[in-house]
Amino acid sequence: MSLATSPAPAAIDGKAVPIETPLARFVSDFCESRVAVAALAVLVLIVALAVLAPWITPQNPYDLAQVDVLDSRLAPGEKSFKGPTHWLGTDGAGRDLFSAILYGLRISLSVGVMSGLIAMALGTSVGLIAAYAGGRLDTLIMRLVDLQLSFPAILIALMLIAMLGKGVDKIIVALVAVQWAYYARTVRGTALVEQRKEYVEAAVCLGLSNSRIVFRHILPNCMPPLIVLATVQAAYAIALEATLSFLGVGLPQTEPSLGLLISNGFEYMLSGKYWISFFPGIALLVTIVAINLVGDQLRDVLNPRLRR
Amino acid sequence: MRLARRLLVALALAMAPPAFAEELKIGLAAEPSAMDPHFHNLTPNSGMLSHVFERLVETAPDNKLVPGLAESWRTLTDTVWELKLRRNVKWHDGSPFTADDVIFTFARAPNVPNSPSSFAAAVKGKTIKKIDDHTIEISTPAPHPLMPNDLSNLLIVSKKHGDGAKTEDYNSGKAAIGTGPYKLVRYVPGDRVEMARNDAYWGGKPQWEKLLFKPIKTGPARVAALLAGDVDFIEDVPTADIERLKKEPKLALSQGVSRRVIYFHMDQFRDDSPFIKGKDGSAIKNPLKDTRVRLALSKGINRDAIVSRVMEGVAIPASQLLDHSFFGTSRKLQPVAYDPEGAKKLLADAGYPDGFKMTLHGPNGRYTNDVKIAEAVAQMFTRIGVETAIESLPPSVFFSRASIGAGGQPEFSFILVGWGADTGETSGSLKPLVGTFDKEKGTGTANRGRYSNPVLDKLIAEAQATVDDAKRAEILARASEMAMQDVAIIPSHYPVNTWGARKGLKVQPRADEYTLAMSVTKE
Repeated sequence: MSLATSPAPAAIDGKAVPIETPLARFVSDFCESRVAVAALAVLVLIVALAVLAPWITPQNPYDLAQVDVLDSRLAPGEKSFKGPTHWLGTDGAGRDLFSAILYGLRISLSVGVMSGLIAMALGTSVGLIAAYAGGRLDTLIMRLVDLQLSFPAILIALMLIAMLGKGVDKIIVALVAVQWAYYARTVRGTALVEQRKEYVEAAVCLGLSNSRIVFRHILPNCMPPLIVLATVQAAYAIALEATLSFLGVGLPQTEPSLGLLISNGFEYMLSGKYWISFFPGIALLVTIVAINLVGDQLRDVLNPRLRR
Repeated sequence: MRLARRLLVALALAMAPPAFAEELKIGLAAEPSAMDPHFHNLTPNSGMLSHVFERLVETAPDNKLVPGLAESWRTLTDTVWELKLRRNVKWHDGSPFTADDVIFTFARAPNVPNSPSSFAAAVKGKTIKKIDDHTIEISTPAPHPLMPNDLSNLLIVSKKHGDGAKTEDYNSGKAAIGTGPYKLVRYVPGDRVEMARNDAYWGGKPQWEKLLFKPIKTGPARVAALLAGDVDFIEDVPTADIERLKKEPKLALSQGVSRRVIYFHMDQFRDDSPFIKGKDGSAIKNPLKDTRVRLALSKGINRDAIVSRVMEGVAIPASQLLDHSFFGTSRKLQPVAYDPEGAKKLLADAGYPDGFKMTLHGPNGRYTNDVKIAEAVAQMFTRIGVETAIESLPPSVFFSRASIGAGGQPEFSFILVGWGADTGETSGSLKPLVGTFDKEKGTGTANRGRYSNPVLDKLIAEAQATVDDAKRAEILARASEMAMQDVAIIPSHYPVNTWGARKGLKVQPRADEYTLAMSVTKE
């Protein structure tokens, strides 16, 4: 990847950097912000917990045979009638909240990442085609993007879910439909700028095919803003999925994601059983804040204008 | 001097804040599906429309029958009833109420198109005759002691406004002209129902000048609205909040046992039930046709756990279609004991040693904790080998699909649903729920499982024709026992209803679960 096209200047933070590859430079720039590093560490931890959930949770909260309503609404630290202690308590159906949160994170993260990747692939292709083809096709695609962006995302997602039905795959479809336009617009803007640069002219002179020019030459140079957008959108997708689940249109009741856990606990808020909403809420908050902090720092590092 | 007084009055009127207008704002848990009193036999509809329309015989809060639009009733012979209609009753537009309106209502009630659950049962088999403007005779082919109970279920509409009127005309308010204490002002589905006092009401001036019904589906939001003073009175206080709200000085709660049963209906008419699959996802023959499977599922339900953990104690485990305290129930029946091992054995005996897969459909927000009950039951079934997924649907969608979703037939395989015995005694549950589905006879009107047992049908018919109360109660008890022995339905629990009101208001709980402005008085 040609992330840095200009020759790297010497490190100015006083640290000795013997050989500077673009990657090393990127890493050292990123590490300048302690907050971002901490956020990244938290994010890595969250992802690891989510991935390893089946091995580290005391219970599979989606297996109805393991969940018992007799254990419902236990306070954090209380023992189940079967023996194990629920350190974060249980929800209204008797699910161990720690297990449910990790499994919920799995859904939230995978939905966020999957929908982000698909939307990015789709939006980027459409944006590149629009920029490179220009003319009527460009106008058509961009008006479509404008139209899409003028609708509130949650409304589009709700309508789609209502039409498609419940399920993880349907949520992903809905989130892709909501997100692709952002990618398309960003990529088109960047690609229009890149397109006028000499290296593209040179490639055209060499007689390279359109697809080669677009995907091998222009696309890599559009990556930095895309990466930033992807992190922001991932956080957004997770929040949107949680919102849909909170509204009860997302995932099945027996397989709650974070949003549904919060929604279920919301019923008990007034009666003082705070933990059912509180802990999943904290998990969601920490995840989104961590992604956003990492994304902010990426933006700073990848933005050529902020480069010293 | 006179001018000064007039000025003063005018000033006082101008300055009177809107709070002085006696408005009662009511937070509803479930909103009615129409303003047509014969469209849908559903508690929120019947409750809401009791403000606008009236019945010949009314039900008091304690389930006793009292005169309504009929001043008195008596039997002339075993099969003929005479009803004296109340004089000086006026429709909201000022036209007089007469026997013609009653006769028109009898003709209209069973014939409303697209009705998800009709009032046919209250009308079928009765021949009505006008004697004079204020006397009618109703005759039946056989003795029918439940006549007053049946009549206590049917709202009378005006012939003048109802002739040719469709459900939409009632929704728009055009045809919604009743004799009740309040007039319908506006019905905005999903948002509000507004009513105004009927100053010419025959039963005296109603207490509230205006009524505002707001559907607030989410329990906590409903409680929050009451605490914040946005509404004065709410139904269905969430069970999770009851303990805490009892200590709240700003509020007053009132509770009463309902004449409702929360139960499960099972597809017993299709050979291949759409939402049942083998463990490996393959198609299997409908196992719910086998009594052993139905009994296994019943034994698999831990009713005590549902009552204590899901309903937080505000319910009673159910043994039959109506609580013991009601007429015609069987003392012999006890709630089926939780017995997962016995359930597994029964399943194995029936040829399902590994169980099967099933989807449980239910409404979200129609009954107290309905989704949570479905979830708890899904857990219990999964533990006996019947892997159960749940799908909860918005109530209006659920009821229409559960009744007529599959080409006019019930769509689902296994549903969570509730039934309030609208006659206040057991035949009001037996006939519609486990009687053979027959539109003509008006039996099995809500039999979404299509269970059918001719012997039971005969028993129910016999009970309905038995004039002697003790004898009738005994026959109904036997019919209940038969239905439970066949596991025609699986009863779960009888809810205990809780209403909440701001301090200073007194609410009388009703066994029929109606949330009425008439139940609220100022202390």
